[in-house]
Amino acid sequence: MACILLLEPDVILSNIYTEVLQQAGYDVCPTFDAQKAINTADECSPDLVILELQLPVHNGIEFIYEYRSYTEWEKTPVIVQSFVSPNEFKSTPYIWHELGIVKYFYKPHTSLQQLLAGAQEQLTTIAV
Amino acid sequence: MGVNGVNQVISSHSSLLLRSVAEELKLPLLQIGREAELQNLTPQDTKANFKLIQTNADMALLLVDSYLLGLELNEAQAELMLEPVSLSGVLNDAAHTLSQFAKQYNATFELASSGRYRPVMAHPAGLRAALLSLGYALVSVPPAESRRQVLLGVHQSSRGLVAGVYGDFETLAHIHLRQARLLYGRAKQPFRALLGGSAAGVFVADVIFQAMHSNLNVSHHHKQAGLAATLRPSKQLALV
Repeated sequence: MACILLLEPDVILSNIYTEVLQQAGYDVCPTFDAQKAINTADECSPDLVILELQLPVHNGIEFIYEYRSYTEWEKTPVIVQSFVSPNEFKSTPYIWHELGIVKYFYKPHTSLQQLLAGAQEQLTTIAV
Repeated sequence: MGVNGVNQVISSHSSLLLRSVAEELKLPLLQIGREAELQNLTPQDTKANFKLIQTNADMALLLVDSYLLGLELNEAQAELMLEPVSLSGVLNDAAHTLSQFAKQYNATFELASSGRYRPVMAHPAGLRAALLSLGYALVSVPPAESRRQVLLGVHQSSRGLVAGVYGDFETLAHIHLRQARLLYGRAKQPFRALLGGSAAGVFVADVIFQAMHSNLNVSHHHKQAGLAATLRPSKQLALV
């Protein structure tokens, strides 16, 4: 069963995203902050990371830099689902490639089905 | 600074606060929208979490009303008449409302005040709105452990009664609040030490306390850190 590391700081949204991903047959490791996410990643060895950029203390970009510094996680695909708007996010396109961000969703305009489809697409690519 | 200059400063602060509140409101609306979508996607025998939808809608409305009251109180600040308010009554009411909201966050919310307190000089609706806004912000702080406990606490200090919202926010320091006041409405995460979002509830409470001639500060209560304001006891009633 593919494992998804979900870094979502809001408990309510985290529960909703976890439920929909689990219903689709994925193992989900929810976590609320960047530091704990590194520890959780160590325990669950995720096949995919879904994260919010706006996190307290250490933001999502800091998390990805830290995450990528471990050789075993260099190639894990990362989906950003964030309150950071498309204009703000796309103003720095160079970081997409550098950080291995495979997809970006603007959270307020992203349905659960769109998120699920994005995750399935990435996990199918890995399986192939 | 002339009257026009003062009006411009007030207007500028109002628009920053409005921006902060607008950013904050995306979260409850998103929670409600996705919860409704989840129910549509799941088998029909599962029961919709209407309590979550109702509580989040109520809290979002409460934040909007608190914001509007904050603006109103600030505009009337020079003529604002504070009156003796029973702190116990306001605290009990706020704690009851916030405990419902905290359940949605898998947190507990308790009133940590013992004994009877003298009435304080405040605007009754303003005091309630400020404490609820503060609680709204701090209940949603991501949990350090699986379950967070948040307190509405009050204690006596040399300058009055200190009332606020506390939790296991060990890293919270005065500098975080100072920086947040400079950044709110401009930065996406002005209160990054605690909150990932716009922290509008903190700034709405700040504005209301300022209108009531009080100040929000980082405070400690029974080894818990939080944000609180010092309220002046009513001298008039102390003589009775």
